[in-house]
Amino acid sequence: MSSITSSGKNRAHERRRLVKDRVFAWVMSVGGVIVIAAIALIFLFLFYSVAPLFQAAKVGAVTQFDVDYAEAPLYVSLEEYKEVGLQISVGGSYQFFSTDSGRIIESSSLNFLSGTKMSSFAAGALTSNVIITGSDDGRADVFKANYTISYPNDKRLVSPSLTRPLEGQELVLDEKGVAIRLITGQSTEDEVTVLGVSEDGSVNLVGAVKESSFLDDTGEWVLERSTLSLEGNQISHLAMNVDQREAYLLSRDGTLELYDITSKTSPRLIDRVKVVEGSVRPTALKYLSGGLSVIVGDSQGNLSHWFPVRGPGNIASLRKIRSFIPMNSGVVDIAAEYDRKAFGAIDRKGNFSLYHATAERRVFSGTLGTQALSEGIKFSPRADAITFRSENGSIGMVEVHNEHPEVSFSALWQEVWYESRDKPLYVWQSSASNNDFEPKFSLTPLAYGTLKATFYSMLFAIPLAVLGAIYTAYFMSAGMRKIVKPSIEIMAALPTVILGFLAGLWLAPLIERYLPGFTMSLLVMPMMVLLAAFTWAWLPSRWKIIDMDGREGLFLVPILLIGAYLSFILGEFIQIYFFDGSLTHWMATAWGVTYDQRNSLVVGIAIGFAVIPTIFSISEDAVFGVPHSLTQGSLALGATRWQTALRVILLTASPGIFSAIMIGMGRAVGETMIVLMATGNTPIMDLNIFEGFRALSANIAVEMPEAEVASTHYRILFLAALVLFLVTFMVNTVAEVVRQRLRQKYSSL
Amino acid sequence: MVTNNQVKPTSALDSIKIDVDRAGPTIKPQTCLHVDGLDLFYGDSQALNNIKMSIAEKKVTAFIGPSGCGKSTLLRCFNRMNDLISSVRITGKVHLKEQDIYAKEVNVALLRQRVGMVFQKPNPFPKSIYDNVAYGLRIQGIKGRKILDEAVERALRSAALWEEVKDRLTESALGLSGGQQQRLVIARAIAIEPEVLLLDEPASALDPISTLKIEELIYELKNDYTIVIVTHNMQQAARVSDYTAFMYLGDLIEFGDTTTIFTRPAEKKTEDYITGRYG
Repeated sequence: MSSITSSGKNRAHERRRLVKDRVFAWVMSVGGVIVIAAIALIFLFLFYSVAPLFQAAKVGAVTQFDVDYAEAPLYVSLEEYKEVGLQISVGGSYQFFSTDSGRIIESSSLNFLSGTKMSSFAAGALTSNVIITGSDDGRADVFKANYTISYPNDKRLVSPSLTRPLEGQELVLDEKGVAIRLITGQSTEDEVTVLGVSEDGSVNLVGAVKESSFLDDTGEWVLERSTLSLEGNQISHLAMNVDQREAYLLSRDGTLELYDITSKTSPRLIDRVKVVEGSVRPTALKYLSGGLSVIVGDSQGNLSHWFPVRGPGNIASLRKIRSFIPMNSGVVDIAAEYDRKAFGAIDRKGNFSLYHATAERRVFSGTLGTQALSEGIKFSPRADAITFRSENGSIGMVEVHNEHPEVSFSALWQEVWYESRDKPLYVWQSSASNNDFEPKFSLTPLAYGTLKATFYSMLFAIPLAVLGAIYTAYFMSAGMRKIVKPSIEIMAALPTVILGFLAGLWLAPLIERYLPGFTMSLLVMPMMVLLAAFTWAWLPSRWKIIDMDGREGLFLVPILLIGAYLSFILGEFIQIYFFDGSLTHWMATAWGVTYDQRNSLVVGIAIGFAVIPTIFSISEDAVFGVPHSLTQGSLALGATRWQTALRVILLTASPGIFSAIMIGMGRAVGETMIVLMATGNTPIMDLNIFEGFRALSANIAVEMPEAEVASTHYRILFLAALVLFLVTFMVNTVAEVVRQRLRQKYSSL
Repeated sequence: MVTNNQVKPTSALDSIKIDVDRAGPTIKPQTCLHVDGLDLFYGDSQALNNIKMSIAEKKVTAFIGPSGCGKSTLLRCFNRMNDLISSVRITGKVHLKEQDIYAKEVNVALLRQRVGMVFQKPNPFPKSIYDNVAYGLRIQGIKGRKILDEAVERALRSAALWEEVKDRLTESALGLSGGQQQRLVIARAIAIEPEVLLLDEPASALDPISTLKIEELIYELKNDYTIVIVTHNMQQAARVSDYTAFMYLGDLIEFGDTTTIFTRPAEKKTEDYITGRYG
């Protein structure tokens, strides 16, 4: 009697069977989980790398500098390592001190001529460490803080010193000897410019240029001066840019004037605008890093970004580019960072906010400790701390963690009005040769490039692959299909680096040289096919010695080759007689259409080539899988083969064809090597098929090696990867969902 | 000529009369399909041997026989569906009315408009009920909404499906039951008003009630169409057909009036088959 419980001699076999079954079930589950976990991990890692971009800035511990100073402090700054600070007091004495211990390293006086007092004070560009003072007898003096770094006993030692760039050359600003009320200036080793407003309202500009002697290191300072023809009693703020060519004058009524001071003898007014309305008063004016634009703060807490914009006729006009989330009360002071377009501002109620200008983003808003702050906040050179003066007279610094202020949705995806551009633009320009360059991280041109590549490659691939699949599956004879299908599928194994290489180095120059021929072939080759088909149809039946049915493709090969040859001959003829020998050159001159050798056409063909096997193979399976009963049903109703193909086969195979196209598209979106090698990689936004682009994927490949780890650039590349991942993920998901839906719909077949 | 655009035969054809069966009904039916010396080969193997028969107009003719006897193959010769198999080679003549359907100048698509076919398994297209029925007309280039509406309703009524589907013509035909799908396929075939309707085991995939409906339908349809039906079910053949042909191993063993075949078969093989000795 047979039993349903294992027993006897079969027992061992039954056990083995059961164990094998369980082991395989377990192995398969683990394998599946690992695959899903791996994808989830990639996703998480991308998120982990990208997340810091969108975190708000943090303000850390407050350090009060325990420095013994006799007079009230006026100015405090730090060197790069935040080890040594410089404090200048209202009376003109200065101390270099250690920020840790408060130990005074050097203490002295700014050494005014006897009987004069400091009547005004200004700091030059942050990077120059320059201080400008005006005296009550109309003179100006320039100082520079130097920090020499040495490593005695392998330990860093910062030795500060204060020098006078003018080397004793006297700089008289107000020739009448009136006290200087307001001053600004800049200094390099051999050029000093100072702009000051005297108590009597006269505005004077003095420039000193050192003319070096040929024989030795010494030089002679040559002074140029002018008095600006304007009444300066209302002026409340001055600012001069780092290259000593521009100066802003801001009046209490809100008039902002921009002067071109390239010529120190004849400064020229560029533009004059009103920056505030009604009774609002401007309260702060600061150049951003780079010296191309200024931030204006007012008594209502508004902050706005201004720079001159070139209009028609090359005439510059001052424009308010953007404004920021206002502060709670009137702005007291603004501090700009050393090398980013970020700035901080304090208001009357002691609030502190951090902004980034081009990203239009407020990254922090809060307070710096508890003290009410007075004018004079300043960033440390690495933007990791801010020094401040509180109203009770103490000085200190507060740590700032502000890693990625330059990233915001608008900076990544919208048009951004960058400094010295005449309109808002989408720009990807992550690095440049000089340091005060602002990186421009618009992902839009890259996403556009990716879409452009996808569009042109799909334009090339879809008709060829889908029509080829229908022909192969439905019309082609079984014997020929057996050869054709695997041959096309094997194309998928071709490494894309080879396709990219061929496209960039062989196809691109070929198409450039024979562009008319190539264009003609798109017209001539289909026409040759039609001609051949009609000729065959009209041929008397006794001449039809070969059985064409299902093997038309084979006989069309020589006809297509002849067509290609003819179109190239014809194209050359046309090129020589109608386009002066070069269509590409002619297009550029006559139509203004630029032609890049490595362009979207070449890339479209190459990527199209790469995705054709995918689209072809899946579509072919879909068409071939259409139940024979449907084909027969249609034919039995008197439909021709073509009608059946169009109305029944294509309809029923549409889910498969759709998913084939989507999967092909997913591949085209992520394609890297071909776009990298055959596009030229210029991040431009243009639909022109004869111009290149830069795709997200290629951009990652190009820039990842040169991006500093954990920098904004590095993280934005990860963001690009995440975007790419999401797009392909979405395309594939849509493909799968639609395919499942349609399959369900046709499941009863 | 079959190659012209007429779906209906010309009246001149009606005068041609061929005796089908001496033991037939008192009003002699006209011949619709005439087969003469038909041989069919799949590659080297012969599937039909010298078939000779005449199929009467507006009558139901049933082909019976064991599996593989060639009855479906013979049926498919009447609308040239065997053309789709490249290894098939045919000699002999098949005439639809007076036309040789294997003549060189015959347009197969037009032939199939005159000789409709319904298959064993329901094969509605993944389209709406309406679009399925209108399919045959649309491929002929008929676009008028009114003409199509009328033709669809007429066909669905003829196929006894109208009452069941009239409120959901725009819904997918794949949502119908198997029996309904088969009647839909019949409606689709008769929408183009063929002369001959070939039914290849039309009820073998259906439940008994659906089968009954199909049989009733066949009974109705023979007023307008010449029907040739292949069936495995001898009761069905006895119920629905006027004439029956018994085939065995590619040979037409016996062909005659259904009553005669089932009650007084002339051949021993026929009798064996009918009484269930093999098949």
